Amino acid sequence: MADKNGFFDLSKTTLSRRTALKGIAAGAGLALAPGFVRYSQAQSSAPIKIGFQSHRTGIGAAYGRWYEKTSTAAVKAINDAGGISGRKVELVIEDDGTDPARGAEVVAKFAKQHKTDIVFGTLFSHVVIGSAPAAGENKIPYFVVSEGHHVASTKLNRYVFQPGITDVKSQIQSMAPWIAANAGKKVTQIFPDFAFGYDHRDYLPPALKAQGADVIAQIAIPPTESSFTKYFPQIPAETEVIYHVMVGPAVLTFVKELGEFYGSNRPQLFGFIDSLEAVDINSPGLEFLDGSHFWEGSPRYAQPDDSAAQKAYRAAVGIDDNGAAVGDPKDVSTAAHMFGCWETLYVVKKAMEDAGYKGPEDRAKLVEATEALKEFAEGTEHPQGPKTFNGKIHQCFGIQNISKVEGGKLKVVHKTKIEDGLYEPEGDYTTQAL
Amino acid sequence: MSGRTEGGAKDLDAGGNPLGPHIIAAALALTPLLPTPALAHASDRGHVLLLPTGYYIAGGAFAVAISFLVLALLPPAALDNFLRRRVSLFTLGDSPRAVVSLISFAGFALLIAAGLFGSRDPLSNPLPLVIWTLLWAGFTLLQGVFGDLWSWVNPWYGPWRVISRLVGGRRSGNERSRLPEWLGFWPAFVLFFAFAWFELIDPAPDDPARLAYAAGIYWLVSFIAMLLFGYDDWSRRGEFLTVFFSMVARFAPFERRDGRLSFCWPGARLLAAEPLPVSSTAFLLLALSSVSFDGLSKTFFWLGLSGVNPLEYPGRTALIGIGSIGLVLTFFLLAAVFALAVFLGQRLAGDRHSFGEAAGLLVWSIVPIALAYHIAHYLTVLLVDGQYALVAFSDPFARGWNLFGTANMMVEAGVVAGAESAWWLWNIQAGVIISGHLLAVLVAHGLAWRLHKQASRAALSQLPLTLLMIAYTIFGLWLLATPTAG
Repeated sequence: MADKNGFFDLSKTTLSRRTALKGIAAGAGLALAPGFVRYSQAQSSAPIKIGFQSHRTGIGAAYGRWYEKTSTAAVKAINDAGGISGRKVELVIEDDGTDPARGAEVVAKFAKQHKTDIVFGTLFSHVVIGSAPAAGENKIPYFVVSEGHHVASTKLNRYVFQPGITDVKSQIQSMAPWIAANAGKKVTQIFPDFAFGYDHRDYLPPALKAQGADVIAQIAIPPTESSFTKYFPQIPAETEVIYHVMVGPAVLTFVKELGEFYGSNRPQLFGFIDSLEAVDINSPGLEFLDGSHFWEGSPRYAQPDDSAAQKAYRAAVGIDDNGAAVGDPKDVSTAAHMFGCWETLYVVKKAMEDAGYKGPEDRAKLVEATEALKEFAEGTEHPQGPKTFNGKIHQCFGIQNISKVEGGKLKVVHKTKIEDGLYEPEGDYTTQAL
Repeated sequence: MSGRTEGGAKDLDAGGNPLGPHIIAAALALTPLLPTPALAHASDRGHVLLLPTGYYIAGGAFAVAISFLVLALLPPAALDNFLRRRVSLFTLGDSPRAVVSLISFAGFALLIAAGLFGSRDPLSNPLPLVIWTLLWAGFTLLQGVFGDLWSWVNPWYGPWRVISRLVGGRRSGNERSRLPEWLGFWPAFVLFFAFAWFELIDPAPDDPARLAYAAGIYWLVSFIAMLLFGYDDWSRRGEFLTVFFSMVARFAPFERRDGRLSFCWPGARLLAAEPLPVSSTAFLLLALSSVSFDGLSKTFFWLGLSGVNPLEYPGRTALIGIGSIGLVLTFFLLAAVFALAVFLGQRLAGDRHSFGEAAGLLVWSIVPIALAYHIAHYLTVLLVDGQYALVAFSDPFARGWNLFGTANMMVEAGVVAGAESAWWLWNIQAGVIISGHLLAVLVAHGLAWRLHKQASRAALSQLPLTLLMIAYTIFGLWLLATPTAG
């Protein structure tokens, strides 16, 4: 079907970020826009407008740029295959500045000014948490690609969904079986001393315990630290695995100093690629990572057993075999996360079509139709892999990749099962009024 | 963040309807309690942290110190003669000036329309890209290299000429000034501060519509002021861009005198400058301090002082108060240190000139530093967002046009990414910062000779200012080498 619709031809076309964005004039500009008659397949119906809350500026801009590329590619693919219910899809970008207060303003703007059908996109947890109430108040579905546990915690509201990327609690939990079986039973955690690190501090020990392994030390590093040597003596000598999730500009220094501390005789290293997302794994200072393992949501490097859907996805987004921009090899993508944008947009398509969505008056129906989704099969729409969806907590659960740094590349050595990451739901959004 | 921890999760769990307005506060209160994958990007500053930046900083400081000693030993008159050399190039009239300005005004009007009606994406809309990247980051560079192009391309001169003609032929700015003398350059100072605040502190200066209103209203208010007070007077003392750009242009190695263009040494024209009044001395110091603060405000050091976790950067809105204080504080700190350096220098040399005159003259030596900071600070923005601007020009209203064939051009963000780029960028930035300070020492030396015709006293008077410049070299390089958020 995909071939017939020319989906795989995407790789042969010059993908322009503007292709899916043209005509997104907003505000008064919309009144001036002469409709979208260029769309031959859906001349009778207006496009479905998706408000894309994007980290265009601010601390999240590196992620925002790749989220934009991926989303634009997904919209082009959806449109090339006939759109949603025969209607074309149009992204309206607003910059949230990676700022929670601005994020909330942007969501309200989408609902009231741009009158988009839904809001989609953002990554940083504090922006999602700051924006979620605005989505609830305006009763506009808000599909995020944040990987935070905040959606699944059911502490946001019924209009917020995360159907395209597994949450961090599930990710961490699903690492435990492999670590315990392959890396070692005695684990020392090194993490930054704030909320991001606390996820790993809190979720890993019970998951490892269940696998017969133990966290024997937890070393919290102050966020403003830029030299780490003085913390390494705290690592117990019997440590078999160092589980590290440092983030920020000092990550390279951290790895370099860890290498200097241990030399060639080191414990196993396990990390989350969040530390080095959008950073070349072959950068000076990172040599010590050779042979170590990382969590990856979706693999950065092309793998020998990549599915046709994965290959098509990579070609459509425009990343080469090393996970960098085609034509700009130094521009390393945020591959481990950005696939969530692609998959979320396909979930939106499915839910809208299931709901018979016509316009903003059907938003409640869209919420219910999304909640009714159960699973997503691996394929064109879900190139990262199969997923299940829990409509009560608005969260999807997928497979995770464990990759080994080998020959300057990340090679997937293990794929977790969906069941590895399942946990007891903490609440039920469907009991909330719409 | 800690101020938002009151309340807590219970508010959300209670009751079946979570959609009340109180939820915003409650949800924000939850922020620190919920798991937070703050995916702080390792960023290219990470590569710089691995470079031997300490040697560069020490070397830079040493170079500035040595330059002072070398200059102290050189005969000032010979140096002065050397710097006064000019190579005459060609005659350059300014008759097309009004036409160029009118074209520029038309472009500006189109940009405002694009800001209002084009894409909402600040990286697709040409207005923020032109204002922040091409004009503020880029054009400043052109002024520093080619001289006062702004007097040609500013969007006020042409329209002012047209209106003046229509309403009665006031052709030049020679009419009697109606802007009170006591106001000095303070209107420009206040407006520059507002501009810096908007750029550095406002939550969304890149928002196309917000910027369109800000820029459009500023144009209109300035235009009215030019009609009221005369073009020349308001341009010289009120319109902050003209004031800033003309100060920067004095650094350029081109001089136009009596319609003839000459080539001179970079910075040489600063030596002939008149002493500035206190208001424009303050303006020049504000220009430097605001760019310095932009760099400082993102450092782990500053964020740590402000109690902000740099890895969980809370966004601009949360930092408005701290940022505003920092912007003001940086200015006062720089102004105080500069004043102290001038004052001590006068005492050392037994200077009989007034403090105001000495400070007003020596402040010209800040221009090369301000320019160097500007280049170093905005270099990466210019390299990446400059590409976005080229793309946006082809389709300013997001209508699918391709006016200049650049609409589908690929933006290569990789140009500033990775260890190799970081090395190149750091070396360029460090080179620019150190060169700027070396030139500043040179210019200050030449200016001091104007105040003290005795070489030894001139050198002695420069000792405190040189120490300031050494300190600022260290500060400038440290800003580019230290960990930053984002």
